[in-house]
Amino acid sequence: MYENVIMPEGMNAEVLEHLMHPKNYGKLDDANGVGVALDEKTNEYVVFYTLFDGDIIKNASYATNGCQDTVVIGSMFSDMIIGNNLDYAHGSIAKMHEKLGDLTPQQKICAEIVFSSFIASIKNYENVKAGAEEELHLFKMKESCESAGKQGKNNE
Amino acid sequence: MNKIYQAKHDLWLSITFSSFAINDEEIKSRLYDFAQMAFRHMKWLGEDILSAGDKYNYDRDILLYKRETVFEIINALVIDIKAIQNVYPDTVLGERIKTDDAYLLDYLSEVLANKSNNKEITAFNMKREWLDKNLPQDQIDALTIFLFDESYKEYELILIYAYMQTRTKDILQYNVYQDLIDESHFHLKSFANMMAKLGILALPRELHEMTYIVKDLDKFIRDGIDEEMAAKEMCKALSEAIKDEELSKFFDFINYQENYHIELMRKLL
Repeated sequence: MYENVIMPEGMNAEVLEHLMHPKNYGKLDDANGVGVALDEKTNEYVVFYTLFDGDIIKNASYATNGCQDTVVIGSMFSDMIIGNNLDYAHGSIAKMHEKLGDLTPQQKICAEIVFSSFIASIKNYENVKAGAEEELHLFKMKESCESAGKQGKNNE
Repeated sequence: MNKIYQAKHDLWLSITFSSFAINDEEIKSRLYDFAQMAFRHMKWLGEDILSAGDKYNYDRDILLYKRETVFEIINALVIDIKAIQNVYPDTVLGERIKTDDAYLLDYLSEVLANKSNNKEITAFNMKREWLDKNLPQDQIDALTIFLFDESYKEYELILIYAYMQTRTKDILQYNVYQDLIDESHFHLKSFANMMAKLGILALPRELHEMTYIVKDLDKFIRDGIDEEMAAKEMCKALSEAIKDEELSKFFDFINYQENYHIELMRKLL
């Protein structure tokens, strides 16, 4: 199992730094967009807090009970989008896919759960702006980390 | 009241991770004993807070003492212990905690009085070398990921079980939670000391309330049993991947321990 572990970009200094000191980790009290992506099979979640000022992402943070891949991707992604606008953030998802390179099926799910939670935070922001009373917006993941793991094993 | 709890939570982590960071076995061991005392303080403060009809959470405001020498760590710890004295409640428990802290401060003064204790701290150097072992890079990578995953998981379990223990009136549940907390303390200590040896000691991530507020105990336990089974597999895989007899035996031992954790959890169903 661990013999073939590939961390995003390999276990380089950047990844190690994100592991030891995840950036933008924890609650953001003044967030005006809160999104959660949940894997119901494993109960793993990412909650993403975004502070929007119009189209600009003034601040962002995340929290998760997931694995280290999720932590590293959340750390990299949140860092990438802070101070930029929504178009840039959407483009960042594609850039992150490029940056992460070849991932295992499980790692792909980890990346998707981070991106989905961010998109859920945008949805929450838009819904509240439109007058809805919504504390957070929840996306349930279609694919589970658990089944991706099994799929990965079967494919080996 | 949550401010007191949060300050104690922070101090418990500070003492615990100071113990992990310091190489000297005697100082490490003494500090770990004090850290366990601080954890009990935290538990009793939590019980008092709930009895008073108040609430607490696991929010934190702590930075790891990433220092280069033992004295720098001890001095930082002394400042934080002194600062918390004014935060403790004016109660019998508060006074008792202060006497424990006073004894810890005495001990830290003794450590600081002996200059030979002021050794270099290697726990944060990120070298990822195990000096007395010759592990190839892929095994070090595997071990690194395992240690980050599992040290967080053990910290998470300690706090979830403690949260539930404080809220149960059932003696069996209370005792099972205590056993599970004790086991997770041991695992956290083992894993974090390994991280320190590798120069990658880091605080586990803060827990979000979605993680520790359990709405469905039965589902939580069943999921927990599944997680223990997964942890067994990870230990087994790591034991096979690490070509070092001592480390392999250790991960086998952790794997076998998960069996009785599962049995303990089944008692909660």
